[in-house]
Amino acid sequence: MTTWLLFLPLIPALGWLAWAALRHAVPLSYNWRSLWQRKVATLSTAAAIAVVVAIFVVVRSLSQGISHAFVSSGRSDQAVVLRANARVELNSTLERDQVRVLKADPLLARDASGVLASAECYVIMMLDYADGTGGTNVAVRGLEPAGIRMRDRVRLVQGRWFNPGLWEMVVPARMAWRFQGLRLGQSISFAGHRWPIVGVFDAEGSAFDSELWTGVEQLMQARKRDAYSTMLVRLADPDRLPGFIRQVDADKRLKLEAKAETDYYGEQTEAGKPIQVLGNLITAILTLGAIFAAMNTMYSAVAGRTAEIGTLRALGFRRVEILASFQWEALMLCSMGGLAGALLAQGFNGIQTSTVNFQTFSDVSFAFTITPGLMAQGVAFSILMGLAGGFLPAWRASRIPVTEAMNS
Amino acid sequence: MKYLHLIWRSLLRSRRRTLLTVLSLGVSVFLVATLQSILGTLDGFAHNPDSANRMVVRHKTSITNVLPFRYGDWLRQQPEVEAVMGLQWFGGIYQDQRNFFANFAVEPEYLVPMFKEEVRGVTEAQVRDFVRDRTGCVVGQALADKFGWKLGTVVPLQGTIFPFTPRLTIRAIFRGKRTADEMALYFPYKHLEESIPRMKGKVGTFWVRVRSADDVPRLIERIDHHFSDALEPTYSETENAFQLEFLKMLGDYATMIHTITAAVLAAILIVTASTMAMTIRERTTEIAVFRAMGFTGRQVLGLLMAEGVLLSAMGGLAGIGLALVTAGAVRGNIGTSIPWLSDFQLQPATLLFCLQATLAVGVLSTFIPAYQAVRRPIVEGLRSL
Amino acid sequence: MEAIITCRGIAKSYYRGALEIPVLQGLDLEIPRGGYYALMGPSGSGKTTLLNLIAGIDRPTGGSLEVCGYQLNDLDDDELAGWRALHMGFIFQNYNLVPVLSAFENVELPLLLTTMGRRERRERVMEALGLVNLLDRTGNYPRQLSGGQEQRVAIARAIVTEPEILVADEPTGALDAKNAEEVMALLEHLNQALGKTILLVTHDPKAAHHARVQIHLEKGVLEKTIEVNRPGPA
Repeated sequence: MTTWLLFLPLIPALGWLAWAALRHAVPLSYNWRSLWQRKVATLSTAAAIAVVVAIFVVVRSLSQGISHAFVSSGRSDQAVVLRANARVELNSTLERDQVRVLKADPLLARDASGVLASAECYVIMMLDYADGTGGTNVAVRGLEPAGIRMRDRVRLVQGRWFNPGLWEMVVPARMAWRFQGLRLGQSISFAGHRWPIVGVFDAEGSAFDSELWTGVEQLMQARKRDAYSTMLVRLADPDRLPGFIRQVDADKRLKLEAKAETDYYGEQTEAGKPIQVLGNLITAILTLGAIFAAMNTMYSAVAGRTAEIGTLRALGFRRVEILASFQWEALMLCSMGGLAGALLAQGFNGIQTSTVNFQTFSDVSFAFTITPGLMAQGVAFSILMGLAGGFLPAWRASRIPVTEAMNS
Repeated sequence: MKYLHLIWRSLLRSRRRTLLTVLSLGVSVFLVATLQSILGTLDGFAHNPDSANRMVVRHKTSITNVLPFRYGDWLRQQPEVEAVMGLQWFGGIYQDQRNFFANFAVEPEYLVPMFKEEVRGVTEAQVRDFVRDRTGCVVGQALADKFGWKLGTVVPLQGTIFPFTPRLTIRAIFRGKRTADEMALYFPYKHLEESIPRMKGKVGTFWVRVRSADDVPRLIERIDHHFSDALEPTYSETENAFQLEFLKMLGDYATMIHTITAAVLAAILIVTASTMAMTIRERTTEIAVFRAMGFTGRQVLGLLMAEGVLLSAMGGLAGIGLALVTAGAVRGNIGTSIPWLSDFQLQPATLLFCLQATLAVGVLSTFIPAYQAVRRPIVEGLRSL
Repeated sequence: MEAIITCRGIAKSYYRGALEIPVLQGLDLEIPRGGYYALMGPSGSGKTTLLNLIAGIDRPTGGSLEVCGYQLNDLDDDELAGWRALHMGFIFQNYNLVPVLSAFENVELPLLLTTMGRRERRERVMEALGLVNLLDRTGNYPRQLSGGQEQRVAIARAIVTEPEILVADEPTGALDAKNAEEVMALLEHLNQALGKTILLVTHDPKAAHHARVQIHLEKGVLEKTIEVNRPGPA
């Protein structure tokens, strides 16, 4: 949310400009026409700004996509129970008796089918890419039927959910076309068994969109495991969540820890940090370059129009009006670029890409989503550039004396 | 060369414009140089010549599965093999997750023979101590420097994958070729086996050192074929290929960086072309005067091109200079999140590319407006004021 | 005195699309070596066009031009440029000095086209600046000079390659009376003492008065020639 901090100075600056335009006679149409008289300079600067804004929007979309993939995976009334210090499901083990104890906890919610708690098993398997370029590790989650009910953001789009007693799998739509054998009706080979794909689901881009699901007992059997990995529980009263967590942590017999589901996934976004840091760095540097370019263009504009400006002053426009006028011109120039850049970024919308969760070494896929909100941020960003780059030249313009009108 | 002062002075016509152009060029080139160097550094890890005669054997399904320890015996029997070492990624944390560094459980007696090039400066006595002491460890110089460790310091690690907290005494500090190699800790495998029952007789990977690099492909085939029907089948690959797999995990970073590079270069071209067009248009009369004085069209074109190229070269050099100056900071900052980048270096090939690119930008951006200006009839140029 | 400039049937038209706009229509003119001619006439009469043609910075659409012994029509653009460097000196109304070069460097410019070494160039430049009386201002930039001084630097630049002919388009147009007088006196000196042939385009009757022959053009045709009776070569 530091971006909102960045946009804070916009408010007073824009406020002043708007006031200047309304209260004083700022010749805005003159500015607009002047931009078009110097087509080459205007268009090329706007193009450069468009590039920077497009990169800004795409990078933020990447950032958001990564956060979204992890953070939105959780509910604030659910908790993940792991072995103490395990940090990720992959490294965690939960014994059957521990699961029994937890399931009996009165704080847990219940629905028509029973207690909302799912003992789960998380493993990694190797899958080949559909295009034959090799393979990668993907996550497989064994869960109880309650686990499906507890993850209400996940919807079935094709087929049906797996039958807990059979060797069946359901896959995310996003993965179905990227890997071999994951289409509905196909099957994959894993741990010595064939697993037909009986359903396809959509998890709204959350972490679950990178997991294959099946029944936990089947998975454990196939992998010859006797212990679960984790457990997901829902609390009847969300306010009791912190208390529940403390309770689990304090229990010396169990040697477990609990985390709010949202926190659990929130911590994992650390994996995406390097990309975000890199992205922000790139954007910051490019912005600087764009501001210099905008300043250059505006200085040229002012230098070429000293006679005009002198004339405006002779006509009665005051310094502050000239200042506002040129500031507006810079804004118009940069926001043109900003709009173009935001539209350019739209071209990235929907492109799927993936990275690897370093904790589990498994594939995490997400799509670039260029939302209207992001585009608006891009345009706001370009306005910021216009204010920053346009200020000094506008100041320059405001200091041009009336006598310049007479000189050639 | 007698025209040099003319060309240089022309850039000073508008010092502000020249400065701003050089700054925006410089900033963009700095970005391109740094990003491409990041790619270059990462690439270097997958093309390490020292890795030519080493390979890695792991479980076919996933790097997170384990293989039986006895596979090592069979591997040692292969004629091409010089040394075999079981290695298990431990992934322990030292104090805080942010202090991340690589730590492994290994068969201690094979560490130095396996990584002859990377684990150096260790005396025989130190190796003996390491082999004998179950709770000992070997760390790299860079890692020791980072935390102020010395021989004899006890390093407590908190296991994440394996639930135990070994307290390891540093028995040796080695120097490697790259900083990334020195940011590692190795402790004896037996310690892990004793503490985690399910790891008894099991290990994550085997590193194999082969006498000759040519033998590697043949050996890979034989190993995987031999274990293909076993309960734990293997997948073998060269060390470089193994590293590459990890790098690929960084996903489409390469594509992203190349896209940004292309976009930035395009933007630079547009901005510089616009600046040169502006500059040249303002000198229409002057250009006509030069030609009236007796400069041929070609000579004037040459002067203008030289000016454009000089301007972009200045921007390019400024960017490269900035990249050189900040390389250390980049290494320090991103080097902690992405371990391979602790060896971040500006690649000479990249810098050369940047220079060539800026010169190309100078030529391309100046040519059209300059050509147009020179083609205009002299009298037209004189007329326009 | 033999003619240094000979124009036979000079015609020049401009084309706006398919429309032909004739400016000069079959003009004949001879100017002797050492002559001091003023071209005058109302705007649109073609006087500047004639000047441009004689100076070799424009080409006629008809007729022939022989200047300094060369048939200009026979020279291609590059040869014409080289010819101008040797035989022609230009003086403009707005001086047209390079703002980022000092007075010395401005005057030196035409010499860069020759094969002269630095020392020889320096000698020539100082000589030219001495002639226009600006030896104390060699290091100054145009913005540090007055209008009159700038024009004098421009004149020094025009003569530094020792051309036979000087062409001047409204040389006093941007100057006050005093400076204008100085510049005209300088031109007269160059004509009388150094034998330069001078061709002047001007509106200013006072400037025209310094010339020895006034050529009046009207609608591209030579209307009248007035000779001012003054001592010196005709």
